[in-house]
Amino acid sequence: MQDFKTLLDGSAKAHGHLCPGQVVGVRMAMVGCDLIALDNPSQLPQIKKIIVYVEIDRCATDAIAYVTGVKLGRRSLKFIDNGIMAATFVNLETDQAFRVRSTEKSRDLAAEYAPDIKDKHAQQLEAYMRMPADLLFDIQAVKVKIPAHDMPGPTRFKATCQNCGVVVRDKKEVYQNGKILCRSCAFGAYYQRIDTGT
Amino acid sequence: MTNPDYQPSEKDYLQKIKVEDAVGLTLGHDITEVRPGEYKGPSFRKGHTVEQRDLCHLMRLGKRHLYVLDLDKNQVHEDDAVIELARALAGPGVTFESSPREGKIQLIAAYDGLFKVRVDPLIEFNMVPDVMCASLHNNTPAKKGHRLAGTRAIPLVIDRDVLDQAVSLAREAFPIFAVKVFNPVTARLIITGNEVYEGLIEDRFEAIVSRKLTTYGATLAETVILPDDRNRIASTVRRFIDAGTDLIITTGGMSVDPDDVTRLGIQAAGVHPMYYGAAVLPGAMFLLAYHENIPVVGIPACGLYHETTIFDLMLPRLLAGETPDNRDLARLAHGGLCLDCTTCRYPDCSFGKTG
Repeated sequence: MQDFKTLLDGSAKAHGHLCPGQVVGVRMAMVGCDLIALDNPSQLPQIKKIIVYVEIDRCATDAIAYVTGVKLGRRSLKFIDNGIMAATFVNLETDQAFRVRSTEKSRDLAAEYAPDIKDKHAQQLEAYMRMPADLLFDIQAVKVKIPAHDMPGPTRFKATCQNCGVVVRDKKEVYQNGKILCRSCAFGAYYQRIDTGT
Repeated sequence: MTNPDYQPSEKDYLQKIKVEDAVGLTLGHDITEVRPGEYKGPSFRKGHTVEQRDLCHLMRLGKRHLYVLDLDKNQVHEDDAVIELARALAGPGVTFESSPREGKIQLIAAYDGLFKVRVDPLIEFNMVPDVMCASLHNNTPAKKGHRLAGTRAIPLVIDRDVLDQAVSLAREAFPIFAVKVFNPVTARLIITGNEVYEGLIEDRFEAIVSRKLTTYGATLAETVILPDDRNRIASTVRRFIDAGTDLIITTGGMSVDPDDVTRLGIQAAGVHPMYYGAAVLPGAMFLLAYHENIPVVGIPACGLYHETTIFDLMLPRLLAGETPDNRDLARLAHGGLCLDCTTCRYPDCSFGKTG
């Protein structure tokens, strides 16, 4: 794995700016990969061995994806919409998994670790680089049961919505009142149709 | 599974081979590596094709001989076979583990809902030699990720023809396993009884019904306490129907006393059909009726005194959009006797497991 500074520079460039979230994300990913014994996760053969569950969609998420190489489209990046600055790193080969959560106390300790910097944003950015990992993160060994339909690889499951006819992949269909339906037909869509009159 | 002609035999697809001669062949078993304090697990999994670069690693692990699989094109390894079986068995709302363990795969719920089993095809599936599948009972409420069934190919290697027969049987009966999602039901409750209405005793039904509805994601939108008055019960049921209620629940007044008029009130509201009485203890005086597609249930007084009653058996089915009838209520007879344990273990008991 590349060194922290190189990864942070690359991550900030990919994300669009350097921020405390980038620092936290890069360090979180480095810690996570180390825990599951992957030193080059973004390249073959390790790229097929890692899955990361992120629990927030903020700056750190991009940094985690950059360092680990996980991608939504490869199905190696899973988004769990918990609003928690945490990620779980899974080694598919060994089944080892660790959840790494950014601590709230690290925010309070920022001034202690970068007393020379007054601007809060800049202070956090620097402090998160200096802070020991055991203060920055809570780490928990975990077990993640990944069902077959969530695994990377070719599409293995397809169903056809019995209401609108759309094909639903990866077991995301719903069996409601005796009909196999897509989630929009079963629960309503996140969008509203606009009648264009055509 | 069932094979009356079974004869144990030497497995000619397993060969003992010197490690150095095993390159290109397929391992017939997991090879476990133990690094004290560091790692314990399979270094090489069953089915792995031995490569030249593996030899040193295997030697380090003390292996001088290996069992390798030598399969012909009509033979399928159990790990590959069980994935085909799981795919064929798992209908909507059912998924399975990503990799077999000891030749088995567990089928699990993809979301919360009511687990449905097509029992007769499942039995036929198990009549195919060399495969098996065991499941929870039909109509068991399931939580996302919970285990529903397990399947496996029984021998290490199964004939392609036999596997195809089992898969084809499961596909023709699709879905042998499914999970019906619980609908986001809006329920309304009528608590009947002069003693409650007049404040002589405090109602305890509302909290019980509300808790049980909430378990499955349903909402109790309104509770009305009424005296034992047939006309007022009927008019309230009709008002609830007009208010857009998905499920109407009444409590009390289901017995044979002259003041027990709840079922008469429900009948007067214009429901059809209406079933009174069920083959369940506790819950014999349960009432189930429909106004078009809106279920109306009557919980007898046992619902106050027993942690689990027929209401717990029927509620998940109603929330999953089913419309049980009198035959379904009769079918509950087999398994419909609650043991009334000091500490209720339901659903981990025989109550309501009708097969």
